[in-house]
Amino acid sequence: CTKNFERYNSDNTGLTDDQLSGDFNNLSYLKSAQRSIYNFSGGGDPNSYQVQQNLNADCFSGYFMSPTVFNGGQNNLNYFMVTGWNGEAFKVGYLNVMAQVAKLRSTGLETNFPAIWAIAQITQVEAMSRVTDIYGPIPYSKAGQSKTDIAYDSQEEIYKRFFLELDSASNNLRSFIASGQKIPVDSTKYDAVYGGNLTQWLHFANSLRLRLAIHILYADAAMAKEQGQKALDPANGGVITTNSDNFQLLTSDAGLTNPLVFISQNWGDIRINAAIQSYMTGYKDPRISRYMNTSTDATVGAVYKGIRIGGVTASNQKSDYQGYSQLSTSTFNINAPVVLMTAAEVYFLRAEAALNGWSNTGGDAKTLYETGITTSMLQWNASSGAYLTDNTSVPAAYTDPKNSANNLPSPSTITIQWNDAASTEEKQERIITQKWIAMFPEGQEAWTEFRRTRYPRLFPVKNNLSGGLINTDIQIRRLPYPQQEYNTNGAQLQNGISLLGGADNGGTRLWWDKKP
Amino acid sequence: KTYSQSVTLKASHISLYEVFNNISRQTGYEFVYDAQLVKRTAPVNIDVKQATIADVLKNCLSGNPTLTYTIVDKTIVISARALPKASHGAPAATITGKVVDAQGAALIGVAVQVKGTTRGILTNDQGEFSIQANAGDILVFSYLGYDAQSVTVGEATSLTITLQQSNKQLDAVVVTALGVKRTEKSITYATQQVGGEELTKAKDANLINTLNGKVAGLSISTSSSGVGGSAKVILRGSKSGLGSNQALYVIDGVPMNNTVTNQPSSIYGGSNSYDGGDPISNLNPDDIESVSFLKGASAAALYGSQGANGVIIITTKSGRSGKTAVNLSSGFMLSSVAMKPKFQNEYGAVGTNSQSWGDKFSGGGHDNLDDFFRTGYNWTNSISLSGGNEKMQTYFSYANTSANSIEPTNKLGRNNINFKETGHFLNDKLTAIADVNYVTQEIDNTPLAGNYFNPLTGLYLFPRGGNLKQYKDQFELPDPSRNYLNVQNWPFDEDIQQNPWWILHRNTNSLTRNRFLGNASLKYDVSSWLNITARGSIDRVADKYEQKIYAGTLKVLAPSTGVYNMNDQTSTQQYGDLLANFNVPISKDFKLTGVLGASLLDTKIDGYKLGSTGADSLRYPNIFTVQNMTAIDPSSSGNLPENHVQTQSVFASANLSFKDWLFLDLTGRQDWSSALAYTQNNHYFYPSAGLNVILSQLLKLPQAITFGKVRGSYAVVGNAPLAYQSHAAENTLTSGGIRVNTSAPFDNLKPEKTKSLEVGTEWRFFDSRLDVDVTYYKTNTTNQTMQISASQASFYDNYFINAGNIQNQGIEATVKFDVIRSKAFSWNTAFNFSTNNNKIISLSPQVDRFTISGASGANYASYFKKGGSYGDIYGVGLAKDAQGRIQFDTSGTPQLTSGDMIKIGNSNTKWQLGWNNNLSFKNFNLSFLIDGKFGGDVLSITQSLMDSYGVTPATASARDAGGVKVNGVNIVTGEAVTMANAQKWYSTIGGRQGASSQYMYSATTVRLREAAFGYTVPIEHSFVKALKVAATGRNLLYFYKKAPFDPEMTMSTGNGLSGIDVFMLPSTRSYGLSVNATF
Repeated sequence: CTKNFERYNSDNTGLTDDQLSGDFNNLSYLKSAQRSIYNFSGGGDPNSYQVQQNLNADCFSGYFMSPTVFNGGQNNLNYFMVTGWNGEAFKVGYLNVMAQVAKLRSTGLETNFPAIWAIAQITQVEAMSRVTDIYGPIPYSKAGQSKTDIAYDSQEEIYKRFFLELDSASNNLRSFIASGQKIPVDSTKYDAVYGGNLTQWLHFANSLRLRLAIHILYADAAMAKEQGQKALDPANGGVITTNSDNFQLLTSDAGLTNPLVFISQNWGDIRINAAIQSYMTGYKDPRISRYMNTSTDATVGAVYKGIRIGGVTASNQKSDYQGYSQLSTSTFNINAPVVLMTAAEVYFLRAEAALNGWSNTGGDAKTLYETGITTSMLQWNASSGAYLTDNTSVPAAYTDPKNSANNLPSPSTITIQWNDAASTEEKQERIITQKWIAMFPEGQEAWTEFRRTRYPRLFPVKNNLSGGLINTDIQIRRLPYPQQEYNTNGAQLQNGISLLGGADNGGTRLWWDKKP
Repeated sequence: KTYSQSVTLKASHISLYEVFNNISRQTGYEFVYDAQLVKRTAPVNIDVKQATIADVLKNCLSGNPTLTYTIVDKTIVISARALPKASHGAPAATITGKVVDAQGAALIGVAVQVKGTTRGILTNDQGEFSIQANAGDILVFSYLGYDAQSVTVGEATSLTITLQQSNKQLDAVVVTALGVKRTEKSITYATQQVGGEELTKAKDANLINTLNGKVAGLSISTSSSGVGGSAKVILRGSKSGLGSNQALYVIDGVPMNNTVTNQPSSIYGGSNSYDGGDPISNLNPDDIESVSFLKGASAAALYGSQGANGVIIITTKSGRSGKTAVNLSSGFMLSSVAMKPKFQNEYGAVGTNSQSWGDKFSGGGHDNLDDFFRTGYNWTNSISLSGGNEKMQTYFSYANTSANSIEPTNKLGRNNINFKETGHFLNDKLTAIADVNYVTQEIDNTPLAGNYFNPLTGLYLFPRGGNLKQYKDQFELPDPSRNYLNVQNWPFDEDIQQNPWWILHRNTNSLTRNRFLGNASLKYDVSSWLNITARGSIDRVADKYEQKIYAGTLKVLAPSTGVYNMNDQTSTQQYGDLLANFNVPISKDFKLTGVLGASLLDTKIDGYKLGSTGADSLRYPNIFTVQNMTAIDPSSSGNLPENHVQTQSVFASANLSFKDWLFLDLTGRQDWSSALAYTQNNHYFYPSAGLNVILSQLLKLPQAITFGKVRGSYAVVGNAPLAYQSHAAENTLTSGGIRVNTSAPFDNLKPEKTKSLEVGTEWRFFDSRLDVDVTYYKTNTTNQTMQISASQASFYDNYFINAGNIQNQGIEATVKFDVIRSKAFSWNTAFNFSTNNNKIISLSPQVDRFTISGASGANYASYFKKGGSYGDIYGVGLAKDAQGRIQFDTSGTPQLTSGDMIKIGNSNTKWQLGWNNNLSFKNFNLSFLIDGKFGGDVLSITQSLMDSYGVTPATASARDAGGVKVNGVNIVTGEAVTMANAQKWYSTIGGRQGASSQYMYSATTVRLREAAFGYTVPIEHSFVKALKVAATGRNLLYFYKKAPFDPEMTMSTGNGLSGIDVFMLPSTRSYGLSVNATF
């Protein structure tokens, strides 16, 4: 008698799609996808986020540096690329984001709730743009269509697809908003960002389009301009202009914590980078106390002090640098939301758009630049004071009280106050430098913009253990592909590497990385 | 049914048991006898044609003064012959005395006769006799299975007679599949039997370890998880990548629940990879009568899929009719570290650095390990009672085991109670047996292998020249900022090390096990040629695991208030079968025996697991209760997957014999498995066939050859997949919400299939003094269920395929020789030899490898690839140029290979040889076992990390010599590099991401595994019937060993991490005393 066999062979801890569909609970795939963009969906243990972003982009962007002597002092932070770390961003992108979005689609979301489907599409573009900006060509158009042999798309193709997906999402949102209908489902089921506010999603979709358009400025100026202007066209619904529209993920559900804060406060594995500390100290930036604590190390004294990237070596131990400045404990508690796009960033994007003569920027570069700064000050609850008119302060030189070999002079002469007479190059440096300060602590976008523009001028890695693959001055350009792709999708990966147009290592530039 | 009165039988050196069997088969008459009575009889030669039963019985009982027979209806009753009492003649004296065997045990029922008279008597329960005889009379002592002895009556009136066991070997009976007993010679495949005494000679907390080196083709790897840890038991090589490779245990015909507890899966180990001991380790070795090994798939074909990896059949002791026997046994073994890692004592650390790359120090250093390890012990005490009458027999035993590991705070306590009752009803046609076992066991502080929560990392890596004593005396200190809460006292903040004593006392774990194992069976003799047996068993293992991680533990491992993990798991196995055993004489020459049956096996694991993770897992520090958990992480907590698998089967076997020299075995079995639900086919059939020729019976062989046999068999055995493989849950719940399952469903899953071929031959020479058994086998396992990593762009992390062909082939040989067998001195010696060659013949067109283990952040992985073999170790090597020179960058750092890992060795033993010896001289007995495992390589991550920390002698001598001599090249300048800076060299090749290829060692080991020296105290006229004391030792001496650890030890008894040492607890040497008394 085998009539019970199917019941025996069903995992009692899992859920079937049927069991989930009641009460629209299957829409919560969308929430878990959103929580994986910057992965904190794993619950209390932020190990996934740590290798997805924290020990990579967060540090390469000049925001953070780890005092921990990972892997005996040989790791990504001195360009000794750790195979086991390099695949996490890839994995999370597909398994935790795209797979969930595909599952949503299979529930008939596209026809049942086109507006929610739009949110899912935007979420996917936001997540996957970060993945392609890490590796370059990745499987996208064919992802999820077979178990093996999944084709890679060039980064150019992927960006084009992103824009098409944003078109579809924006159209859906606009028509749904215009219809005046309401989504008959409690938004807490599916939206961890805007609580189902579709206008805010539309603003984000346009802002994301603008961000992606700016990314490709040097690779395809025409497409950049076309998409940028489309994003900025008021007829399309507008971009984020106030901090209340900031794209932020709430970590307030049970068991969820802000992974960056967790790593900083619970593990003591991440500290402030010398670069951001040097810029903010030099600028006497009023946001500095919102960003970081002063050092608790007696050798250093109670001052703001970051760690130089690559400055922790095999001969150090964790306690050597753990007392340097950490992420501000007064601003960031363990449940602080994860902010992935701010109004300030959008003003700086518009400033750069204006610098390039795009239409619909809604102001000149100066105004947008200054609004960017003041919007950021508001976001951090800091008072600008005379910040906007400071035309003398420059980033400070860096001294390491524990190892003078890490000392470096001021990285840049760029000042704060806008100067219309300055060269376009200097204007860009000013915009990107301030954008970089404003985007803290979101290192993924900051690293992308550093690679695209070479700004802000970041301290070079102290010890370069890449074996000559990564140039110390040009700095790391990408992460190598995951080992699992070599093992499972080798032939297609080789196509991907030829689309990349260079060897699969940290020194090869991505498609949009073409600044003359 | 017809009864025949004529018997035709020609055999030499055949046991009485077999004669009776033959008569029974030919005539349909049934025999009734006390097995004990017949057990010690000597073999007989017989040659009768068309003889009557009476003639045959007369013929073969004629030499036996103690046995007689009566035929009642169709039943032949064999009983002890009542000798006539002395009556007249009035002899002068009364001679009293005692008859004992070589070991001094009293012999009961020995016939004592005055030669040439009818005066005679049997010895009583104490082996004593009293007989009237005159001086000059000759007393003849005869006893079945023993050489008769004659004594001329002299002046002494009290005699002690020692009878020597007859050297004629009995034709052994082997317990085969489903508990069916068959004569050894009719078996068509390789078996090996080990007596229960081999398990108790030098006891181990896990009894299976005492069989290491004693059985050809059996490979046992001891787990490094301290006392009571499990063992990896493999017969004839690993076959399955994903499924279990461990042998099946069968107790009294019923498969045992062999659910393996948690095993580490990565080099980090970690908090949940505790090993609570495998179910076999819970048994009381004193309860075991014998163990037999059915090594190949043919032997196991009737057990179905569970038996594909071979079967270990355990027969437990039963009560015996007659006078109650009480046995007390006590053993005390001490254990100490067999080998410690070597350290340098020249260079210390710079300042407060954790690594010893600083200046030379003076003073010679300090042996921190002596402050840590202790002398362990294993103390076992057991009592057993056996007794009963012809209708009811009872066996009762209790055993207590108490053991301390060499690692402080790791200890084990175990109690075993066993009660077995056998009853005969309805004119002995119905036999009922019930056997109830209850085991309680508690293991404290199982060492967690790997880098995390392991005291050995901090102990071994501590800067040289430093004295750890201060951290032992004060492993915790009050923290004023926490209102003097005690927190860890340790100078380093590194994820892989903590204060060793902090781990022992403040990162504690405990595992409590309650196990009930009950068996019951009913056998009814329907007729002389058919009996029906119904059996049922339940084996329930309830485990509770608790881990308490105190506040003050390393921050990356636990939040500031501590962590409480608990796991409550119950594994229940229920088994039931119904068998019809038949025995049909088809014609004079052909006999058919066999079994028809059906069985049901249901295994279910369930329970729940609670773990506190996250930022503030415990509300108040160090309160380890569920109430004190602030958040329970649903991704790692909650109810466990039920893992419910049910297999239903029908099976049949037929054994056809021709004239007792040709035997043909055929079996067939069909299984329905719930693990195949949701696939196209939930059942599978597999057959086996075997053929056997007894050459010594067929041909006229030279006198020197006592016995000769050739055998061959072929079998196909299916192996069902694991639960849920065909039907992964569509979605899972995590703290982040719903998650799509990342393991693809496998709806065209097929069972694995092992085809096995074996041929063997067995010869006995010189009156069975020399016994040689050789087997060649080849198994091919195809349709392997493999979990393949998917390209994550498929939205799956992995999926299953059926593919591959893994081949194991090898030779097994055993040689036994009675070197000396005189009355006073005997020496028998036995060799067992085996080889196994594993090869991956094919894998899959879809993938080039199957990953058994390998984790991120590791420089080690275990894959198998086509052309490779199971147990291949892959790792990182040194990058070399075309001329083979090691590449260095301009800073003088050696370069490692990048990209895909390279093959750096294989952990499997290529061949093994065991040499077991038993010597006895009068009342003294010496036994020792030397065994060698040859070939294979092992990887020591321990050495790799110790090198990178500069604590090994190699790093000191390199510094003394001004660097490491290398044949290298600068990759930028192209200049030759002849000397590498010691620190740069060892920091790069060592460590967690170093060149693992530099840390491979030969696994060849030859050791004195076991030795026992015993003395049987001669006892006369005491309530103590026998007393034996012995000094025993295990793992006493390594004759050859190159690896820095014992290559036989394993971090995990699963398929992965084989041959990898990550701070494993060192192997131990143990020695002690045992006392055994019978009342």
